[in-house]
This record gives sequence, structure tokens and C-alpha cells, in this order.
Amino acid sequence: MNENLQEDWLDARLRDEAAYVDDGGFTAGVVQKLPARRVRHTLRAAILLGVTVVASIIAYLLSGGGWFIAEEVTRFALLPLPVIWLSAAAATVLVMAGSLAAVMSRTGGRLR
Amino acid sequence: MALTDADLVARVLLDDDHHAFAELVRNHQSSVRGLLRQLVRADVSLADDLAQETFLRAYKNLRSFRGEARFSTWLYRIAYNCFREEARKRKELVGIDEAQLEAEHDPHTTDPALRHDLAHALQLLPLHERTAILLCCQNGLSHDEAARVLEIPLGTVKTNVLRGREKLKRSLAAWDLTKT
Repeated sequence: MNENLQEDWLDARLRDEAAYVDDGGFTAGVVQKLPARRVRHTLRAAILLGVTVVASIIAYLLSGGGWFIAEEVTRFALLPLPVIWLSAAAATVLVMAGSLAAVMSRTGGRLR
Repeated sequence: MALTDADLVARVLLDDDHHAFAELVRNHQSSVRGLLRQLVRADVSLADDLAQETFLRAYKNLRSFRGEARFSTWLYRIAYNCFREEARKRKELVGIDEAQLEAEHDPHTTDPALRHDLAHALQLLPLHERTAILLCCQNGLSHDEAARVLEIPLGTVKTNVLRGREKLKRSLAAWDLTKT
């Protein structure tokens, strides 16, 4: 019985020791050191889309209506078949490497 | 109606709401700073630096908080890790800043002499026993929660609390424990 009273007493004194620590500007200091707020995902997507559309319009206007694309496609189609295959393979490898790099950067270097 | 820790965490994660995080800091700063002050032997400025680091790490790693434990338990764990890293860096931590501690305690709750003796007795405990006592008896964590914070087996926490209590009782034997 006396043992229990001693334990209660000790716990009560220990809790007293944990008196409230006044904030005193601590919270403000922490908040000040937080990294700047992230731009929201939807806003970020809208900005990216807008920039892409504007850049496309500018490129279209500056290139005289995009005729160069049709010209380059025609020229590409006239190349020898092995060159076309090689170009396609190189493009595939580049896209895969880019995707892999993007995934690894998102997962901090881990693939699983 | 006051928001729960879970609500505030959700707001921070969804909208990066700094106000919600400030509310979390406000709610828990006292217990985290109090624990760190006791761990670093009451070097108040070091304890507050560690507490700030604790909250900044908590913000950075908030996505890893799964809500399985209480938010405070998760914070204590970060705080304890900050303390361990600092202790490893410094090897030896500085002495007690008793004057500042005295100034922040409510002088009416307990006899100042008893409080002094208790603080001294606590500082004399080995770190593992002191930490277990602080978490379980002072901050109200269960043995299981303290085991998770300290990353040690449950049985070890129980033993450390038991031994710490015994030593405290011996140190404070001069006080009539059941009447004060």
C-alpha cells in the first residue's frame, strides 16, 4: 500500500516537473524556417500546359505555318531503310533512358 | 471545434498549409522542448535548437507519419534521434542551466527544494533510465510507445523504468514520499 502511494507521489512530482514551457516565439521561429510553400499540383499543371500552348503557337508562327515539319518528314521517309530503323532504335533508347532517370529521381535512386 | 492532430497533418499534406503546421508546433512544443531540456541536462538553448530541428524534420518527413502511433510519440522519436546525433557529435553534453529552469517553473506547484532534489536525482540517473522515466512517467507514454520511440525492446524499457524509479525513490528518501 505504502509502495503504491510512493509510486503515485513520484509520478505526480515528475509530472509537476514537466511544467508548461511557454512558446515565447518558438513556433514563429520554426514556421519562418519552413521551406517556401509548394505550388499546388493543379496550378503547376495549368502553368505547364499554358507555357506549352504559348510556345507551340510562337513556334508555329515563326516557322511559317509549320511547313518545315512536312518537309522533314518527307526527307526522313526517303532515307534508306536501315537508317530509319537505326533512328527509331536510338529514339526508343533515349525515351527509355529518360523515363528511367525520371523514375529514379522520384524514388531517390531506388527502383523498388 | 479544435482540430485533431490527424486533421492538421492532413491539411499540411494536402495543401502544404503552414498555419496547420504552426498549430501542430504550438500544441507539442512544450512537451518536446521539455523532454529535450531534460535530456541535454537543461542546456536550454541547445534543447531549443534540437526542438527546432525536430519540427523541421517532422515537416520534411510528414508523409512517413502513418498515424499508427500518436503524433506526439512520432515527434518524441524524432526528438530522441536528434538528441542522439547531437550527443554523438559533442560526446559530452554541457551542464545544468538551473537558473533558467527555475524561472520557467510554476513556484506554487511543488516545494522548490523538493523540485531541486528531484531534478538533481533525475540528472544523476544513467541516460537510458532517465529517458525511459521521462517518456513514461513524465510525458505519459506507455511502455510500448516508449519502446518504439527509443527503438529498444519492451522488456528493456520496463526494466529501465523500474530501476530508474527505485533510484529516484532512494535519492528522495529524505522526503516523506506519501505526505509531501
